[in-house]
Amino acid sequence: MKWNGFLTASILAFTVAGAAWSEEEKVLYFYNWTDYYPPELLVKFETETGIKVIQDGYDSNETLIAKLQAGGAAYDVIVPTDYVIAGMISDGLLQPINASEMSNFQFVKPEFQDPEFDPGRVYTAPYTWGVTGIAYDSAQVTDGKLDDSWGVFFEPPTELEGKIAALDIGSEVIQAAALYLGLPQCTESNEDAAKIYALLEAQKPKLKMYSADSTVDRMASGEVAMHHLWSGATARAHEIKDTVRFIYPREGTPMFRDNFAMPVGAPHPENAKIFIDWMMAPENAAAVTNGIAYANSIESAEFLDDKWKDAESVNMPPEFADRLVPTDVCSPAAQELRDKIWTRLKG
Amino acid sequence: MNLRRLPFTREISLGVLVYLYVPVVVLIVYSFNANRTATVWTEASLDWYRKILTNPSIRNATWNSLVLATAAGIGSTLLALAAALGMRTRFRGAGLVEAVLNAPLILPEIVVAVATLMLFVAIGIDMGLIAMIPAHIAFCIPFAYLPIKARLEGMGPSLEEAAQDLYANRFVTFRRVTLPLLWPGIMAGFTLAFVTSLDDFLTSFFLSGPGSTTLPVYIFSAIRAGITPEINAISTIMLIVSVALVVTSFLLGKMRR
Repeated sequence: MKWNGFLTASILAFTVAGAAWSEEEKVLYFYNWTDYYPPELLVKFETETGIKVIQDGYDSNETLIAKLQAGGAAYDVIVPTDYVIAGMISDGLLQPINASEMSNFQFVKPEFQDPEFDPGRVYTAPYTWGVTGIAYDSAQVTDGKLDDSWGVFFEPPTELEGKIAALDIGSEVIQAAALYLGLPQCTESNEDAAKIYALLEAQKPKLKMYSADSTVDRMASGEVAMHHLWSGATARAHEIKDTVRFIYPREGTPMFRDNFAMPVGAPHPENAKIFIDWMMAPENAAAVTNGIAYANSIESAEFLDDKWKDAESVNMPPEFADRLVPTDVCSPAAQELRDKIWTRLKG
Repeated sequence: MNLRRLPFTREISLGVLVYLYVPVVVLIVYSFNANRTATVWTEASLDWYRKILTNPSIRNATWNSLVLATAAGIGSTLLALAAALGMRTRFRGAGLVEAVLNAPLILPEIVVAVATLMLFVAIGIDMGLIAMIPAHIAFCIPFAYLPIKARLEGMGPSLEEAAQDLYANRFVTFRRVTLPLLWPGIMAGFTLAFVTSLDDFLTSFFLSGPGSTTLPVYIFSAIRAGITPEINAISTIMLIVSVALVVTSFLLGKMRR
């Protein structure tokens, strides 16, 4: 074919267009828990990097996994909790980001650099962490202080009976009961399950309710005097009512760690990596803690607001570090036992 | 046994109405509460309304809900109008067509939502508003269809026949006679379709993509962190919008008498 001007021009045009297409658009699709990220920080990210972030929310890990497995909805950055990550990696839902090679990884606290669910931080980067413990209103308790044990929750003092709320989440309640009784978290033994069930059944009439919704309001309004509750929610309640205190039970305090990850099929992988790296910078991690009241995994103490420095629910006293217990992933048989216990308990 | 003469009918009706509407009134009143706790009233303030304006998630969710409801309302009303006009003549299979049109009223929404998701993924449509609009139009059609059909049947064929006797062709008859008479039914149908799409959760949840969260999906996903009074405020605004819409369509209907 004759080599003419039109052909040259079109080839050049396609090359230029091709080069332009290969650069990612400056957009990031961020799928996070609702109300789990301060909006001002997103604005800061957009100003510093020029990447516009579109954030959507989910309410549980199960919803997140359902959305990813259904297909069709492609997000760039997601925030799964530790106990689902091993399963997501083996199901092929996540792609490697190699967080340990990013420039801000040096600021990650040593205990979060090499977790058992993602050795070497290949697929995830740390975000926030928290614990499930016991929140109580010191104004409604004689002496204003309770023992550091699950005992005050499962076998409460008489003055608190009828004023206690438990989380309406089977895995959390059964895990706490197993830790209190010294049994394995994911027991497959019927005798262990019977002991757990007996404990929970004896506790049930002393509870006011099982609920995981509007927990902050419930604690802050004084509707209950004690609540099986997460550290971040306790911190938010403490902000409203400063007599709210938090217990890290010595038999074992279940810890959850939330992490950034990139799902397979993310439309903007480079932007996702930029965001994840940016989030590991100390001042940005501290901004998250200051905004949502959950502890972060980065050495960022100098950037924390003063009010969080002496709230033990956010700033854990270091002597409690050995009480923290990661959540085990249960086998199907153990999960079935848990389902049986919970169904029988809730009637 | 006359139902009107049963004892305490008025009191029972009042009781039921109060039971249904008091939560809504409480919701509106607490949107003006300065304190964020839903059970403690401190003082009146417009803070939460100001906060909505600066909360990007709520603004986006509201915008998506309104766009989706408008598109679904218009689309489903047009299709329902065509369907109602077409169903006037009794043709073979009319019963089946009627059943298919009204199917969304009977089929469980979650089944339809999941099936739609699987279909769209199989044919390669991306999740987001582009996927949500056709799905919403589909399940809003019966809500628009029933008022239009009722109005059409109430109208009867005599006026149209009279117009055609006076040399009006089919298009002129439609434009000058049928449509003006049908207008209240069309507005009622649009309002019902709009409101149905606005408060839909399941379909919007399964078909949502990045940036296309609607208000009900947002409120549901906020449960874990706690419902803040911002949600009271946005709900009050949506309530006012819906009431305004219904009142407008009612007045429009009256005007056409």
